[in-house]
Amino acid sequence: MRGLILAGVALALLVVGSTVALRLYRGNKEFKVFLGAFAGAVGLYAAAFWLLPADLGILPPTSREGVPAVDFGNGLLVLTLIFHGYWCFCYFSCLSPSMSVMVALRARGREGMSRAEALAIHGGGQPVDLIFQRRLPKLIQGGYVGEDGGAYRLLARGGRVASFGSLLKRLINTPVAG
Amino acid sequence: MLKGLVLSGMLITAWLVVQGVVFQVAAPRKAFASMLACFSPTVPLYLLLYWLSPADLGFLSPPLTGTDWRLGLANGLMVHVLVFLTAGLFYSHADRSITVRLLIVLAQAPRQRLTLAELQRRCGVEVLMQDRLDIMVQNGFLVARGDRFWLTAKGWIGGSIGWAARKMLRMKAI
Repeated sequence: MRGLILAGVALALLVVGSTVALRLYRGNKEFKVFLGAFAGAVGLYAAAFWLLPADLGILPPTSREGVPAVDFGNGLLVLTLIFHGYWCFCYFSCLSPSMSVMVALRARGREGMSRAEALAIHGGGQPVDLIFQRRLPKLIQGGYVGEDGGAYRLLARGGRVASFGSLLKRLINTPVAG
Repeated sequence: MLKGLVLSGMLITAWLVVQGVVFQVAAPRKAFASMLACFSPTVPLYLLLYWLSPADLGFLSPPLTGTDWRLGLANGLMVHVLVFLTAGLFYSHADRSITVRLLIVLAQAPRQRLTLAELQRRCGVEVLMQDRLDIMVQNGFLVARGDRFWLTAKGWIGGSIGWAARKMLRMKAI
């Protein structure tokens, strides 16, 4: 129980800390903010688990796990699983093209939206659509894709991700690429 | 506490095997609904197994069995549901990731090389939005009439959550 309570406190601090950090962050690598917040939360959780008494001053004896390592591991597992969900929620809410359409439609009310207008939200019809404006520079910086005489070439690192992605897609039986 | 985690781990493993077979054999159109349908029976099964099995499961040492059984049951159930939700998110990563799709398209290209125009034609916003609009209609977030789309009640709730999250988090939306 000690692990669960401390994990809950660490998660609350993680959410508040990452929300504040994202408002202050000016770059376009938000994942670093999330990973930093997670690392901080894990450090805080481990330190509190180590330093605070086994009953936290409030827990009855029956709520105390007999083996501290199990208690610690259980809290860490819950912290990690909820962090992953929170991270995905933030990315989906803020960056997903589908969510962008729903947010835009909500603002429009009864007016609705045509397919062409949905495309325009993401830069459809522009020389470089917004999806590529955001992703290609990151893939190049990360060493996944290289520029090669006016074209883009897959590098070894990108090839490994593509192989793994293809494997996952075969496992869930979804088209490998459109 | 470990009893609940062990039982949950066994049931999750069994569910993953069954789900893998369902994906391969039936290729369900509504993947998450299929996952939920296959996963749901594991919850009462977990409760039943927890109730019927001994506190030590026949192999746990005494220090691992001393916690209040209600706490062990609730903790195992919480982890069980969290692992299912995480698996759902992993499915979503594998199926929908734009970046992975882009890399796979490049990997399949001759000499693994494409111009920007070719990349945009094969996995650009037009292809992507076509897929996403169809999926949102299929999943009941949008309704289509002719060439126009409107939010359903479910879509309005989704859009409101997205609007609030964007206000609060200030990430760069594309």
